[in-house]
Amino acid sequence: MLEFFEEFPEMSRVSLRDFKKVIDSAFRSFSRNNGETIESFFDPILWFLIWFEKLLLNTPWPIIILVVAGLCYLGARSWKLSLGSVLTFTLIGYLGMWQDTMSTMALISVATLLCISIGIPLGVWMARSDRVQSFVMPILDVMQTIPIFVYLLPVLMLLGIGKVPGLIAVCVYAMPPIVRLTNLGIRLVDKDVLEAADAFGADKKQRLLGVQIPLALPNIFAGVNQTIMMALAMVVIASMIGVRGLGIPVLQAIQNQYLALGLMNGLAIVALAIIFDRVLQGYGKRLQKGREGNKND
Amino acid sequence: MKKLLVSVILITGLFASVSSSFSANDCKFQMADMNWPSATLMANVDKFILEEGYGCIVELVPGATTATFITMNEKGKPHVAPELWTNAISGLLYKALEEGRLFSAIKGPISELGEGWWVTPQTLEKYPEFKTVLDILERPDLFPAKEDKSKGAFIGCPAGWGCQLANQSLFIAFEMKKKGWILVDPGSQAGLDGSMSKAAERGDNWFGYYWAPTSLVGKYNMQLMDFGVPFAGSENWDGCVAKGPEECMEPKPSAWTKSIVQTIVTSEIKEMTEVMSYFGKRIFPGSIMNNMLVYMENNQAQGEDGAIEFLEKYPEIWVNWITLEAAEKVKKAL
Repeated sequence: MLEFFEEFPEMSRVSLRDFKKVIDSAFRSFSRNNGETIESFFDPILWFLIWFEKLLLNTPWPIIILVVAGLCYLGARSWKLSLGSVLTFTLIGYLGMWQDTMSTMALISVATLLCISIGIPLGVWMARSDRVQSFVMPILDVMQTIPIFVYLLPVLMLLGIGKVPGLIAVCVYAMPPIVRLTNLGIRLVDKDVLEAADAFGADKKQRLLGVQIPLALPNIFAGVNQTIMMALAMVVIASMIGVRGLGIPVLQAIQNQYLALGLMNGLAIVALAIIFDRVLQGYGKRLQKGREGNKND
Repeated sequence: MKKLLVSVILITGLFASVSSSFSANDCKFQMADMNWPSATLMANVDKFILEEGYGCIVELVPGATTATFITMNEKGKPHVAPELWTNAISGLLYKALEEGRLFSAIKGPISELGEGWWVTPQTLEKYPEFKTVLDILERPDLFPAKEDKSKGAFIGCPAGWGCQLANQSLFIAFEMKKKGWILVDPGSQAGLDGSMSKAAERGDNWFGYYWAPTSLVGKYNMQLMDFGVPFAGSENWDGCVAKGPEECMEPKPSAWTKSIVQTIVTSEIKEMTEVMSYFGKRIFPGSIMNNMLVYMENNQAQGEDGAIEFLEKYPEIWVNWITLEAAEKVKKAL
């Protein structure tokens, strides 16, 4: 009897092993039978990623720099930021990281856009229904805490190494903040304001697009910031499953203790993150200002 | 004079106490538990035998090749690297051996091992005309790359590994770019394993770098290809191929260099004669190592579980490594 309390009544070693084996072999036969179908399902994304990377790589570098500077200006309306991005990209190219930076930029811009375009609607949906929220929250928790290779190994067995698993890894990790903060932002909108909107006879769509989302923008853009930062932080992990880009030299540097190489490529990742973020944040600020202006009209 | 006498007595006393503490079996050290299965199995077997058989205290420290070697070389810790693949670090290692900082306890702790270029057995079944690497190089169309189907994919060695440079060099030496191949960097061991096992599971063609003894080679019966050219001398290999294309632009085609795996120890361990004589006899036959690795993989066993399975299953191998007395103790502890 005492033994029962001292030792946890655990599953026997053999049955535990068999249990694990059953799961493993079930997954293996699943991947053997359905791998190719699932792979072809992701093919359009792969083609798009390849096309976009080739586009970035084959465009002459001055044009890329000009386009980036132009986007910076369009997004943030700031000459300083445009100039800063021109300088950064020139320096990156000068230090021999142009190709890797373009590959990383291709993957990350697609990943960020994907995360934002899935994340914001999901956040809105969560904000409107407590049931959805109670269902999605734990999934987000899993996405953020589960050790990356735990889900990457099955993904590798299904899809092989390359861009698509890389994209999946980045999005799984980077999407939760935008979903969470959109949800939070909309839930935090003042009830009185919503009542006022109702009193003016706003329908559901008007209430969402005209009141809730604009008032939630500061939170949503904090989410966008976090998503971008996390996406770029995942560049190195993506490289661990065969995605070309700045992550590869970083891995090389870590393995061989090349301090300078690691630092240079690491800082290039940081620079990309900052430029991406400032452009979107500047855009977000202008959006919010515009709303304020409308209010005064 | 008196002073001298006192100090002599003091010093001899000091020495006596030091030597007595040595004789009281001061066998306590750190051993590198490297992050691939055969090395972790070996480290755990060593730990078990040395602790149970010789009363040592062995602490396992995780680490990869380069990081482990550098800390051993610079700081003298961990004290033992059971399975160090020395090709990647040969220059630094030879210097350390010459200067007497590190010592080789045994060359080749696993027999029949090696690196090279492998294909899945299904590929050889379908194309029996593939006799050497040279034959494969003519058919990039059979190994289409995921991101550019018009090219053949050769899966190289993960970024930052010593073999990455050698693979890049051989890629140039065999003019593989011209023949329609691209060199894919799998990024990590997980990436390399994933791409190989995915292909082997589905019976697809796969051509890339790998090494044995490994559970995946045992499990999927991966086939090592003959290079079709002889080893073109250590000058070409060490002076060019291993340095990579940034340092040496014109490597000659060559078979892979013979892999040298050693158990490397620091000078502290060299003093421990019993431990050294154990390391000196400890050779795992390659086929048994492959079996062990498949066992570990199938049972999802950790290094420690694997070590116990090995000690239980193959006593005829390890009893020859140690004294009878120690063997009795180990058997009792199992």
